Amino acid sequence: MKSYLLLLLLVGGALISVVVGLTAGLPTESDAPELTISQFGTVISADWTAVAGATGYWLYYAPYPELDPVRRLDMGPQFSLSGVFGELDSYAIAVRAYDGDGVGVGEISSIAVAEIEPARSGGETTVFTQTSNSFSTPAPNLSEAGLFRHLDGDTDFGNIFVTAPAPVNPGLGPVYNHSSCEGCHPKDGRDAAPADGEQMDTMFLRLSLPGVDPSTGGPVPVPGFGTQLFTKAVFGSVAEAGVTVRYREETVVLRNGTVVSLRTPSHEIDPYIDLPEDVLLSPRIGPPVFGRGLLEAIPEETILAMADEDDLDGDGISGRPNYVWDPEEGRTRLGRFGLKANAPSLRIQTAAAFHGDIGVTSPVFTQESSTGQIQDDGKGDDPEIGEEILGDTTFYIQTLAVPARRNVDSREVQRGQLVFAQAGCTGCHVPVLKTGDSSVEGVANQVIRPYTDMLLHDMGEGLADGRPDFLATGREWRTPPLWGIGLTKVVNGHTSFLHDGRARNLLEAIIWHGGEAEKSRRHVENLSKTDLDALLAFLNSL
Amino acid sequence: MRKMRLFVLTASLFALSISWSQAQIRPPVMSLITEGTTLTVYWDDVVGADGYRIYYAPFPQADPVAFESYGPDVTNVFIEAFDGAAFYAAVAAVKGDEVSAFSNIDFFILSPVDPADAQATESEVIANVAQTVIASNYAELERRAGALLNTVLSLNFETTDEHLLAAQQAWRRARRAWEQTEAFLFGPVDTEGLDPALDSWPVNRVDLEAVLASDNALTEGFVANLEDTLKGFHTIEFLLFGFGNTKVAADLAPREKEYLIAVTQNLQTATKTLADAWRPGEGSFLNELVNAGTTSTIYPSTTAALQELVEGLGIIADEVGNGKISDPFSETNPELVESQFSFNSIMDFSDNMRGIENVYIGRYLKNDGPGLSDLVRRVNPQLDETIRKAITTAIAEIEGIPYPFRDSISTPDGRAQIEVATNAVADLQLLIEGELLNLLVNP
Repeated sequence: MKSYLLLLLLVGGALISVVVGLTAGLPTESDAPELTISQFGTVISADWTAVAGATGYWLYYAPYPELDPVRRLDMGPQFSLSGVFGELDSYAIAVRAYDGDGVGVGEISSIAVAEIEPARSGGETTVFTQTSNSFSTPAPNLSEAGLFRHLDGDTDFGNIFVTAPAPVNPGLGPVYNHSSCEGCHPKDGRDAAPADGEQMDTMFLRLSLPGVDPSTGGPVPVPGFGTQLFTKAVFGSVAEAGVTVRYREETVVLRNGTVVSLRTPSHEIDPYIDLPEDVLLSPRIGPPVFGRGLLEAIPEETILAMADEDDLDGDGISGRPNYVWDPEEGRTRLGRFGLKANAPSLRIQTAAAFHGDIGVTSPVFTQESSTGQIQDDGKGDDPEIGEEILGDTTFYIQTLAVPARRNVDSREVQRGQLVFAQAGCTGCHVPVLKTGDSSVEGVANQVIRPYTDMLLHDMGEGLADGRPDFLATGREWRTPPLWGIGLTKVVNGHTSFLHDGRARNLLEAIIWHGGEAEKSRRHVENLSKTDLDALLAFLNSL
Repeated sequence: MRKMRLFVLTASLFALSISWSQAQIRPPVMSLITEGTTLTVYWDDVVGADGYRIYYAPFPQADPVAFESYGPDVTNVFIEAFDGAAFYAAVAAVKGDEVSAFSNIDFFILSPVDPADAQATESEVIANVAQTVIASNYAELERRAGALLNTVLSLNFETTDEHLLAAQQAWRRARRAWEQTEAFLFGPVDTEGLDPALDSWPVNRVDLEAVLASDNALTEGFVANLEDTLKGFHTIEFLLFGFGNTKVAADLAPREKEYLIAVTQNLQTATKTLADAWRPGEGSFLNELVNAGTTSTIYPSTTAALQELVEGLGIIADEVGNGKISDPFSETNPELVESQFSFNSIMDFSDNMRGIENVYIGRYLKNDGPGLSDLVRRVNPQLDETIRKAITTAIAEIEGIPYPFRDSISTPDGRAQIEVATNAVADLQLLIEGELLNLLVNP
């Protein structure tokens, strides 16, 4: 049994109630205390084991992910400390023993990250599953009516479109990239990249001419092609191109001897009419779609507060917002979705995907993607889907659950979480955010752990597509959320990452980082094998 | 559930059966399931049948042959037999004085359930479900797709109604195997895009007509590059049965036959890819399940693998209750009915339930071993009984829907029974996603 002494400490401006255990922990063989973090409601406790020859213990703590300033509490002979945590609080904690002369004894304990419910990546929308359905589960906090609407949207998301006229799901094409949403977002997850020499099937190329479209401020369409290259057409119509993907391999050796092979894709395009010489191309692979309602509910001021366009804090990271055209509102708004944040809302993103990817017109985009081209079917059946399907599909995306993290208590994972911050990854992959008000059910006021700042960052020459998209330059990409990334293999059967799937595992994806992430990549390249493994274990726990 | 004792044998012979050409009524497609010393014989509804017969004869000498008669509403007979019972069985449809040809003829040899099954570990259950249920079901699907291809080739050699019927029967048999696999739509069937390649719905009829009207050579390679809505089960179904299940051999245009061959070859290739992905060996998905909690790169624990299995059962129960049945039902729209050309929809739904039963019990057709049931029974025998009963009830209520389903959604009797069936499926789904999941995954 333990007895507790309640202390009140003022730490970092926050009032934290601290409970200190007075009884002795069990001595261990090791010369470092063994630290355990546990949580009861909003109270988080750190407990540690005794070290032979120690008369007292120092508890070090620092805010996570900043890890600065590091403070030290003299715990005396106690073996436990408890405190009330705020929902966004996160602290790295470690313990070390000292002797009668106040001199440190033995090693410092492992460093743990203490936070409330770190496994709940999506707040109350989190689901605890680790199966192939991890990305395709309705948020558990939906009402019955919400669940029914979600399920209607689920059907729409899986529906396969066919050539009009047809009694079921008419409106495919005439030119398109796939016939259903799910085709490019399998199990609401990540699509795989074509192998070397394979044709693009589900992934596609965005394309445009240099300059800015004066009516939208966005990319300039290519005559005869538009802004997206359609590799498929209904039978009898002409696809815009076949695209073969080829890779060139290069090897990088990390300081710890780990060999990483990086493959750079190139695209052989066989267009139906000549492409202009100055055409700009950017490949896209279907990203996961769960948790997007939460990202939509992050207050604009929260995102803008993370922006640091001129890098005033001098950390080498200068995230900036994209501002993009909202065709319904007829104005420019903060961009949130798409790999370059070129869509202002999930409604516009969903309508654009129906329109471009499947060739299905809706109340948002009423003209066929092929209007003015020879493939135009002129059927006059637009819009091919109405408000109900568009609305339900959007709602479905907005209310897909986020899978919980696994192994959050593992020492290796906790170490990796620390390495992730030390490397500066958290500068863009921001761990914790809070959503604001929302008219969408279940997503308002949630503490979420998406690992994104929703901002654009220069990712260096290696990942540059050279194709601007609204304010995003040809080197900028929006930080993708990392939640669920460790479940990609079980959901989608592969581990290919980045905008064009070139990375075949998480390590390759990290080593591709450049530009604003240059410093972070170098940090990772110099990690010990233990720390690198820990970092990957952490990412796989997301 | 009807029970039959297998000791009344009368003297007649299989060899004296009615030949194809004499009968105007088509034979059913039969399946046998054995579990210990019990046998389930089930078959599909036959248009116009006013009864069915189960024929049986001792195995292996096949003499004498006896039969037992059933009414038109029976398509599923459960028989408690005895250790060592060994018989051939076949089913025929009856219409007035007329008796159809035999269905496929199969045999069974019964032996008691291995008592060790009841003590099986989680790993043993997962391994048995992976091998005996999932891998075997995919292998059977591949065999039946091969048989379908043979009948389609025969139909091309000799375009008669007899060959068309044989192809239709082969389609139904392959379809039965596929629908049962839908209780585990994870792994290669999903990640390799094989589900859409095999089972896309609806058929893109506009493009299909355009393809048939074109002068493209209709090779397997050509078909492989077409949309999934121009291949797979439903495109083949459309070509074999026609709209409204009215196809006769004389309707088959030469281009249709060419397309049928190419698209059936494509189907057979896809089923082979799928079966291969579950065959033992390097990189087999079978290993991922069997080695859950040890060397699997996908399932870090047996709990994770059990969760995958149980979620798979819940997903298909949901799909049947809230999609396949309820979509056309709620809109009273026969165009939304899956497998509407062959009038096979009710069998689709009940085979989905049988897929659930296969995983739950740990058996497929004539092979059995430990299943989820064995893990449940030792902790909560009452729940095990409840789940087994919910499965058989769901099957019975679905098969109780008047045939064909595309018409029943518009008749008062049909709608009443569809509601009963939907509720039975919902009850089962609730048990799977509630108590079963809690017991096996979140105890």
